[in-house]
Amino acid sequence: MTDLPSQMAGPPDSTDAARALHEIGRRQGQVIEAVLVPVWYWWVVAAGMIAIGAAADTKRPVVLAVVIPLAVLAIVGLTVAMILGIYRSVQVHGATLLRGRGAIAIVGLDWLVVGLSLGAAFGSRAAGSRVAGTIGTVVGAAALVIAGPAVMRYLRRLMLSQRSGGSG
Amino acid sequence: MSARFDELIHAPTRLAIVSLLAAAQWADFKFIRDELGLSDSALSKQLSTLESAGYVEIRKWFVGKRPRTSARLSPAGRLAFERHVAALQEIVARSGRVMSAATGVTGPGDQETPGHAR
Repeated sequence: MTDLPSQMAGPPDSTDAARALHEIGRRQGQVIEAVLVPVWYWWVVAAGMIAIGAAADTKRPVVLAVVIPLAVLAIVGLTVAMILGIYRSVQVHGATLLRGRGAIAIVGLDWLVVGLSLGAAFGSRAAGSRVAGTIGTVVGAAALVIAGPAVMRYLRRLMLSQRSGGSG
Repeated sequence: MSARFDELIHAPTRLAIVSLLAAAQWADFKFIRDELGLSDSALSKQLSTLESAGYVEIRKWFVGKRPRTSARLSPAGRLAFERHVAALQEIVARSGRVMSAATGVTGPGDQETPGHAR
């Protein structure tokens, strides 16, 4: 990267101005991209959910005592590490932060996953299934890996439209 | 807010740094360096220039024994950046008006934008 235009006198022509606006949008997009939850995170959490559901279906105390705490610790540990890692790298400016619609999307995702998991689990149990916990968490996990990245794409668009000095 | 073209910000490396910082509250030195693909010395030099102009604030502290450096746009830097963006948008819009006049097509860029003095 060089600083050639700094050597020129006066404002740029329209082509250079448009290029600069594009560059501004691209760089601000990098910050927004850095604070969004990566796709792999949804898969790891989904795997943890299924492990918990499958462990619950075994009804064996040893399996429950080992798998559930391990899965919960892995999910919580990963979440905390990811949030701290992002927080240490970059913090989004207030003007770019999510507003009401972003919060609604995140809460909506949580309710969708919980609702589908419980609905599928209770429905399976009512139908006589002996692996209702697994079915419930598989359905919830599927919702998570599909809806999680979709919500992140929505939040990305939302933050890009709200960023400071935004320019397309 | 009046548009004002800023030569200091417009230099490519500084434009990239300021654009990145405009979307951030604080950004870690390593994050800026890695995202922009700069060397430590190149980033330090540009940040010093921006700090001298009063556009950037630098924060240094220790995590254990490791030194950490973060940067953010100062209120003056944020204002200068927003004025610079407005100036660039004005240049692009003006060229749209010239194109419209030449082709006889009326577009959204045909409206006068008051208060954009440079």
